[in-house]
Amino acid sequence: MRALVARLRASAWLGLQIESNWTDPFLFTAYAITHPLATALILAGMYWAVGGAVQGADTFRGLYLGSAFHNYVVMVLVGMGWMIVEEREEFETLKYVYTSPIGMFNYLAGRSLVKLALATLSTVLTLAVGWFLVGLRWDWAAVHWLPLVAALGLGVFATVSLGFFVAGFAMVMPRAAFTLNDGIAVALYLLCGVIFPVDLLPRVLQWVALALPFTWWYEALRRFLLGHGSSTLLNAWSDGALMLWLFATTLVFSVAAHLAYLALERRARQLGRLDQTTLF
Amino acid sequence: MSALALNLRATWGRAYGRLVGAFREPTWLITDAILPNLGMLAFVMLYRALGAPRSFEALAVVGGLLATYWINVLWGMGAQFYWEKQSGQLQLYFVAPCSRMAILSGMALGGFLLTTARSAFGLFLGFVVVGVRVEPFSLPALLGVFTLTMVALYALGMVMASLFLLWGREAYHLSNALYQPVQFLSGLYFPLKTLGPLGIVAAGLVPLGLGVDALRQVLLGAGAHALLPLRFEIVALVVLCAVFLWLARVALAYLESLAKREGRLTQRWQ
Repeated sequence: MRALVARLRASAWLGLQIESNWTDPFLFTAYAITHPLATALILAGMYWAVGGAVQGADTFRGLYLGSAFHNYVVMVLVGMGWMIVEEREEFETLKYVYTSPIGMFNYLAGRSLVKLALATLSTVLTLAVGWFLVGLRWDWAAVHWLPLVAALGLGVFATVSLGFFVAGFAMVMPRAAFTLNDGIAVALYLLCGVIFPVDLLPRVLQWVALALPFTWWYEALRRFLLGHGSSTLLNAWSDGALMLWLFATTLVFSVAAHLAYLALERRARQLGRLDQTTLF
Repeated sequence: MSALALNLRATWGRAYGRLVGAFREPTWLITDAILPNLGMLAFVMLYRALGAPRSFEALAVVGGLLATYWINVLWGMGAQFYWEKQSGQLQLYFVAPCSRMAILSGMALGGFLLTTARSAFGLFLGFVVVGVRVEPFSLPALLGVFTLTMVALYALGMVMASLFLLWGREAYHLSNALYQPVQFLSGLYFPLKTLGPLGIVAAGLVPLGLGVDALRQVLLGAGAHALLPLRFEIVALVVLCAVFLWLARVALAYLESLAKREGRLTQRWQ
């Protein structure tokens, strides 16, 4: 256990250096929050633009909340795919990490901790922008703390677990990993009811959305923090059923993602893809 | 061969490489054309979920189409010399007998043609899948405003490419950092007017905002919720074209000599 902690700490420290040592800490922090902050401001701009014409300010706030927590998916899940691209294509160090005693799985887990910290900072800032600029408020006394914390934990766990799956795919597909990473980010943005309700998706895609843990995660966060969801379709589920689906989809996806990662890592080694550079 | 002919050939040669290269890596079609447009779709659906007037959906589609050009300017122009440095090719540009501006113009031309071809997917998404509609418009006005916007935008890309000559990983991070804030400050998904005085300041710095606002005026009329009258925006775009082209020339000459003095032209992984 102590060895595992030491390995995670070492890879997290290395991850922080890779992410940030190109500049000073202040500039790095500003850089890290620029993207999520600008996304939040775009949503705020859209909200200000439509002003009184909107039918549901509550709907907007719910969707904004989903967008805030989607920072975890963009920065951690997709970021884990980018780690492989960077290590293999840019720094050409993936093979050294692979042969080091720390192990690839532990290395990715450790580096994901830095991504988690950055995603948390971004989410908090996005919520702050929402609080002050678009009236995203909640009643602290009415928050369902226990289910909220449970939902948050499950969602973060699902994010990291699926991150391993994305990293595994990036190992097997050197050149296409770029596209894959971007594609997953956009697909999840569209499918999981992040900034529009899943009700607006075509029926077939609604079923896909319901199979993904993030759809349940965002809805759970909205209900337990704001007191209401943003989807008519998901309103049919009680709070308990919602948590059950979140738990079930997280469990299934996490187990599948872990097994898939191990198989993909093995496959990448068999195919000689661990040191195959295609860009530079 | 005259200097003009040499530079024109260099421009075409660089543009040709970009066009042919794109067909050799079809997966980048997904990254450059399909994904940004799918992102635009999310914003259109948000307006729909909020019950906003349909003209706002058209606003977002026009902005989304221009977002693909902004991506190309950032990564295909601004950060291009960074990629070239990483692949060890940058020095070849500097030993070539042509002008550096000719090479940058070729990069811009190739990138523009490619992105325009790829915008077809965005047009299909916006007008067929989402079903947005525009007002009757003047085609010459549309082409004129579009051309001015593109010249100003790609000239800005040339300035950025010059700056990035000097930088290593900072170039990559700066491109990353600029992508989303400029989308916000240019009002790609909402009328720039919404930002008030900040919108006017931003429009004076980055031609994307003025361009998108002018294009919306041509296509949507009153539904564009314009920042300034169209003729003012056209004049401002002309000024921005001239300023950025001049700046690119000056910056390239200065930063090239600085990069040579500091030995950064061939420096990788820094």
